[in-house]
Amino acid sequence: MKLVFKLAAALLAGTFLGLFLTFITVVRPLTSGGIANGTWRTNLANGNAAADPYTRARVALHGPLALNRSETIYYTATLDSDGERLDGRCIYQVSGHDPDARWWSITAYGPKGHLIRNPASRYSVSKTSIARDANGEFTVRVGGTEAGANWIPLTPGRISLNLRLYNPGPLVSLDPAHATLPAITRVTCP
Amino acid sequence: MSEYLRQRWRWIGLTMLVALLVHLGTVYAIPRIVMGRVMRPMGPPNTIRFGGRPSAGQRGVARPSPDMLYASCRFDLSKGPLLITASVPHSTYWSVSAFDSATNNFFVRNDRQVTGDSLEVILMRHGQPQTPVTAPEHAIVFAPTRTGVVLFRTVIDDEKNLPALTALLHQDRCKTTTPPR
Repeated sequence: MKLVFKLAAALLAGTFLGLFLTFITVVRPLTSGGIANGTWRTNLANGNAAADPYTRARVALHGPLALNRSETIYYTATLDSDGERLDGRCIYQVSGHDPDARWWSITAYGPKGHLIRNPASRYSVSKTSIARDANGEFTVRVGGTEAGANWIPLTPGRISLNLRLYNPGPLVSLDPAHATLPAITRVTCP
Repeated sequence: MSEYLRQRWRWIGLTMLVALLVHLGTVYAIPRIVMGRVMRPMGPPNTIRFGGRPSAGQRGVARPSPDMLYASCRFDLSKGPLLITASVPHSTYWSVSAFDSATNNFFVRNDRQVTGDSLEVILMRHGQPQTPVTAPEHAIVFAPTRTGVVLFRTVIDDEKNLPALTALLHQDRCKTTTPPR
């Protein structure tokens, strides 16, 4: 009886520990591993059969059906430029010049990777929708009240931003860690 | 403490072994389980499904692009090769891509890689009888797994182009073909 109890305890503890390891290495981290570029992170093995099992599992959970790096490079940000976690109660400014890609977009997501519900049905800005100044620079208001074409509304809660670069140019594909990407700055936070 | 460990090392070892097996097993299984869940709402296999434009009301695939029009085809090659025909809009980014049952992207072709207005793709398994292609631009692609997903993406570059892009996407097809005996 004592042996059966010990066996059951070992199996139970092992199962719990194994699931916990999977949780902290695959389920919880949205951006672990890969390449950092400022506050943005990307994993060039996305969608690739040669990806390690952890990358494959993370991509499957957090963004399945991702294209491989020759077609699209996906950057994700969960932190602002000060290293603070992105929060849907705050207002951010995303500014910079067009990244080197045929087409790009910046999209905000809620905690489970869903688009953030809002009355304006505005979820993203893109190369073809964004307004730029005379120098070709853009500033996007993320959160807060409406701010013209360059605005992505948020709702309270943990958020993340995705920068998609379709048909990335050589500045990105050859050196994704140093390519010029928009900066994410916190403006106000309650 | 060392005496405590010495007396129980078999049980600690068994616990660690179970933990390792459960961990590696779940890491291996997650992409396959996710792909199963992604494919289920896509309807019957080898039939195209027009998903349209993602919105906040949809709770399917995580992190969809709201600037894209999507169509999908869940494939099952057990009944023969799959014939995919797609109309190509050259005014915006467009691609047709294929994913195996573990979420790996094993094929992609975008609008810049197609010179004509349409593309024909034969998706098949190694060893299956060849299906003749009829379109001038075509690709014969070998799928690493029997099941998976073909995804059609079209960037909505301008809201005023949405009706035309939607109409073009609705011309796309995927169906099982019967190779000649």
